[in-house]
Amino acid sequence: MKQNPIIKKLGLNRIILTGVLILMYVLFTAAIPNFSSMARIRSIMNYVYFLGFLSLGVTFVIATGGIDFSIGPVMFCCALVAGYCLNSYGVPMPLALLISILVGGLFGTFNGYLVSHWSVPPFIVSMASMNIAKGIGNIFTRSQTVSWPLSTDANGWFRNLIVYKGFPVGLFIFGVVAIICGMILYNTKAGRYILCLGSNREAVRLSGVNTKKYEMLAYVICGVLVGIAAIFFVGAYTTVQPGYGDQYNNEAIAGCVMGGTSMVGGLASIGGTVIGVFIISLLQSGILAFGMAKDVQLITTGIIVIIAVYADVMARRRKN
Amino acid sequence: MGEVILTMKDIDKSFPGVHALDHVSFEVCKGEVHALMGENGAGKSTLMKVLTGIYTKDSGTIIYEGKEVTFHNTREAQDAGVVIVHQELNMIGDLTVAQNIFIGREFMKGFRIDDKKMIAESRKLFDELHIDIDPQAKMNDLTVGKQQMCEIAKAISHQAKVIIFDEPSAALTEKEIEDLFAIIRDLRERQLGIVYISHRMDEIKVITDRVTVMRDGTYVGTLITKECTKEDIINMMVGRVIYEEPKTKSLVPPDAPVVLKVEHLNAGRMVQDVSFELHRGEILGFSGLMGAGRTETARALFGADPKQSGDIYVNGKKIEINSPEDAVKAGIGYLSEDRKRYGIVVQKSITQNSTLACLDRYVNGPFLNKKAEREITQKYIDELSTKTPGPDQLVVNLSGGNQQKVVIAKWLIQNCDILIFDEPTRGIDVGAKNEIYKLMARLAAEGKSIIMISSEMTEILRMSDRILVMCEGRKTGEIPIEEATQELIMDKATRNIQ
Amino acid sequence: MNRKKIRVFSDQRFIVLLVVIALTAVFMALSTGFRRYSTLLQLLDSGYYFLLMAVGVTFPLITGGVDLSIGTGMVCYALIAGTLVRNNNLPVAVAIILCLLMGAMTGFVNGVLIAVMNLPPFLATLCTCMITRGIGSMMNATPWPTGSQAGGWFHAIFKYVQGTGRRATQYPVGLILVVIVVLLMEFILNHTRFGRYTIAIGSNKEATVLSGISVKRYHVAVYVVCGIFAGLAAVAYAAATPTVQPGTGAGLELDAIGGVFVGGVAARGGYGSVLGTLAGVAVIMLLRVGLPFIGLQANWQQIITGLVLIGAVMIDIIKQRRAAIRQ
Repeated sequence: MKQNPIIKKLGLNRIILTGVLILMYVLFTAAIPNFSSMARIRSIMNYVYFLGFLSLGVTFVIATGGIDFSIGPVMFCCALVAGYCLNSYGVPMPLALLISILVGGLFGTFNGYLVSHWSVPPFIVSMASMNIAKGIGNIFTRSQTVSWPLSTDANGWFRNLIVYKGFPVGLFIFGVVAIICGMILYNTKAGRYILCLGSNREAVRLSGVNTKKYEMLAYVICGVLVGIAAIFFVGAYTTVQPGYGDQYNNEAIAGCVMGGTSMVGGLASIGGTVIGVFIISLLQSGILAFGMAKDVQLITTGIIVIIAVYADVMARRRKN
Repeated sequence: MGEVILTMKDIDKSFPGVHALDHVSFEVCKGEVHALMGENGAGKSTLMKVLTGIYTKDSGTIIYEGKEVTFHNTREAQDAGVVIVHQELNMIGDLTVAQNIFIGREFMKGFRIDDKKMIAESRKLFDELHIDIDPQAKMNDLTVGKQQMCEIAKAISHQAKVIIFDEPSAALTEKEIEDLFAIIRDLRERQLGIVYISHRMDEIKVITDRVTVMRDGTYVGTLITKECTKEDIINMMVGRVIYEEPKTKSLVPPDAPVVLKVEHLNAGRMVQDVSFELHRGEILGFSGLMGAGRTETARALFGADPKQSGDIYVNGKKIEINSPEDAVKAGIGYLSEDRKRYGIVVQKSITQNSTLACLDRYVNGPFLNKKAEREITQKYIDELSTKTPGPDQLVVNLSGGNQQKVVIAKWLIQNCDILIFDEPTRGIDVGAKNEIYKLMARLAAEGKSIIMISSEMTEILRMSDRILVMCEGRKTGEIPIEEATQELIMDKATRNIQ
Repeated sequence: MNRKKIRVFSDQRFIVLLVVIALTAVFMALSTGFRRYSTLLQLLDSGYYFLLMAVGVTFPLITGGVDLSIGTGMVCYALIAGTLVRNNNLPVAVAIILCLLMGAMTGFVNGVLIAVMNLPPFLATLCTCMITRGIGSMMNATPWPTGSQAGGWFHAIFKYVQGTGRRATQYPVGLILVVIVVLLMEFILNHTRFGRYTIAIGSNKEATVLSGISVKRYHVAVYVVCGIFAGLAAVAYAAATPTVQPGTGAGLELDAIGGVFVGGVAARGGYGSVLGTLAGVAVIMLLRVGLPFIGLQANWQQIITGLVLIGAVMIDIIKQRRAAIRQ
């Protein structure tokens, strides 16, 4: 059986996903009046940005065969801590953005260290981190909501990172970061080791590779991307409330697994993750546009993750 | 030997890509020990799995006690009296011995499991078999040999009429094997049908009545043990006479420098005070029975497992090895006995596997130099004559012998001077085996130093320049090849065992 | 005799018991407020539902799995049943049974996803966590009947109040329930087939299958039992919470799971004890209730529970490593 070389190059999975994405968009446009309005597209994009960085981040972790479902609350923690520094301590904006990334990176390091050096099961680390992130967010802000500056405010220029005079800078940044992630994963030593150790950790370790270091690195990369996601989240939604963020875990994991990254590790697709993120964002936006509440979003993502992971389980079983 | 109790006729079974059993027939009589022999992958275990319902047969019939039967799972087979003692132990480590023996058919007192009765019954069972095991001990706390005894006790407790032993002696000491044979003879007296799968020719001669040989999923023939010789059986197994000339003389020049010196290596129960030297261009054979601590010594030396103490010198310089990373830096490469778990990343390409140990050399700035990677891989594919369409092929699609070559290529690309081959030909067919032997000899001639761990006596005698024998975690002998005989090695390998 | 003594002292459950006593002593010494009877009652109120969740989730954890849906599930059942009691005059007794049924159903779904469809347990239950949370969010905030209202009798399962107003005396009768539940489940774990196979699945699933046990059925049952306990917890939660709020419950599972790990369940599965869970939950509850008395704000608890969870698992991992080296 010979495969069409173009299909092989692009990956059947990704072609189907793109088809699904387009079909969904067409259906939503047909079913919902004004779905293709500029405002609606902007709202979808806002979702894509922060979810995209989360999904890219968690792709690295899942590639090692691990999981991180503390990313949503950690993203909130980053936004809260950095925002609070900005508003209450008068930290300059560039530093605040850096703090956000730093907090994310620290959480990634913490998670990665426990998983790689202590072999604490990733789901336990995630549970613990999730609580710690919420706790820190609460304590730091004294349980108050934090609002980031509006575009008209003095420090509002950071919003240009998302849209500058109608030009979607955010999309551009997201694209560049996705390409960098792809480069890291497929074209660097670190990426090669991350993928290989996700597939067979012992074999990689016995080849003289410091697997702990590279496994930890995957979590650190994830943390940094979560810190970036926080910036785009506040850029779009301005206010952050302590104690929340759980729902984005599932959405990020959904985007990633749907894109063809295998839950057992060793197989990851950055391109697939990007398309997956678009699908999830479109869906969430569509659900709201249909006049349904947030609860439906939670339920649908839950079901999507189950289906996507089950498909992965079945695909592996067929291979063996 | 009584009447036939079990007959398997024309059993056929295919897996995707493999014709595992090709119309195989087999029978066992009451009061008979019937050996089932064949090389790895000959289909012995598959046949037994078809019998006990783990696999479903594609065609053929099984007649048991005069009736045609099909067991759908091990439970059904057990209930009918056909029980298998597995090669991989089938024990639940966190439960006690008694709980394990009666799992799935606990004695109940209403809702409650009657543990007391289970303990008493286990004790009775052990007494009957003259085994000394505490039924209340946790399975995890027993030695492998004792666990095996529990498996057998469990099988017998099923009122079995046919018991299948799947390589039962692989993990046992000499003394334990004696005990096992006593039990088997006893079972034979009781008119049970016994299937005995083993690789050990000596055991076959001692314990069995008939031998059936399989090869590549086909039935080759059945012999009466008393009337045949070892050579007859081997010839049937391999299909041709392989006449291996043992090495008579060490090929290492007497002035060859010491490249590796290990002193007083200690790592748990399995590695106790092991010291040895390895010379340039030498093949040092590590011989011993299963569980002698050879693999553990290699892993501790390589930094794969933690060691308690011991000094390691490479080219006269003392080095600290605390992880495989340190070992690889010092020029040591390790080829594991379990390739799929420890040697290769099966879902990745040959290229990715080949350069795994030395990716540092194939980078261009921050990026990988994939072209150079592919070139070096292709070079070693040619050099080792690995059979593959190309360097991008996934390793999972290669045969055992070719997978082994990929692992060898990995260490050669890394320029390792000291190679540890742990059971280098396990799971590899005869033709590829010879190729691996030639390759090892060539590497030694080129000045690489090799430690070869092997359980096959012929392999040890054919390849080694010097033989180190271990038993129960200790070095019990060092024999130059000129003086080595099977008997001498066996003597040393069982030295600690009374 | 002597060896047996040593074994008792090195048993994690015994150590945890000492920790419970030490923590109580420290809090009592440092704060007068902690010594009050009302503090004990406050501790027990939330203790009941955490304990019930923890007892249930002990079983999935012993199989080497996990159930993250217990927290949001509990709130979801309390909301649905409470709404029916409020708006449709459903008798409370039926509402309680409904809670158990909904728990069993969620557990069944989890069990099928994990045991039959082979999804990773944390992922499958993370999804059902989100789904139950979503379903719960569709409800309105619901108060269950208070003690003095019709149908308020269920409060007496946990706390029996004699008299009214300021002169009321409260008796923590829920402790009886705790003793019964813990002993019953400990018995089930150690002396019934269900318990034995739970341990077997966690220890060596492959071997359990080969022993001819219908592992899938028992594996699903493990999650059903866990779900039923989440349903029971919902009743305790309704009794302890004046108004059940939609959208809450996420994160509550952590305290329960943390308690089980403190109680000594093995991170890889195959070992655990319900008595240990009781001791572990006691530690978590003492920290939860005690810390504010010595001046740490409520939010610190979240961080501390997170760290305690990791600490407990790390102790287990270090023990395993030591044992491995000794081998």
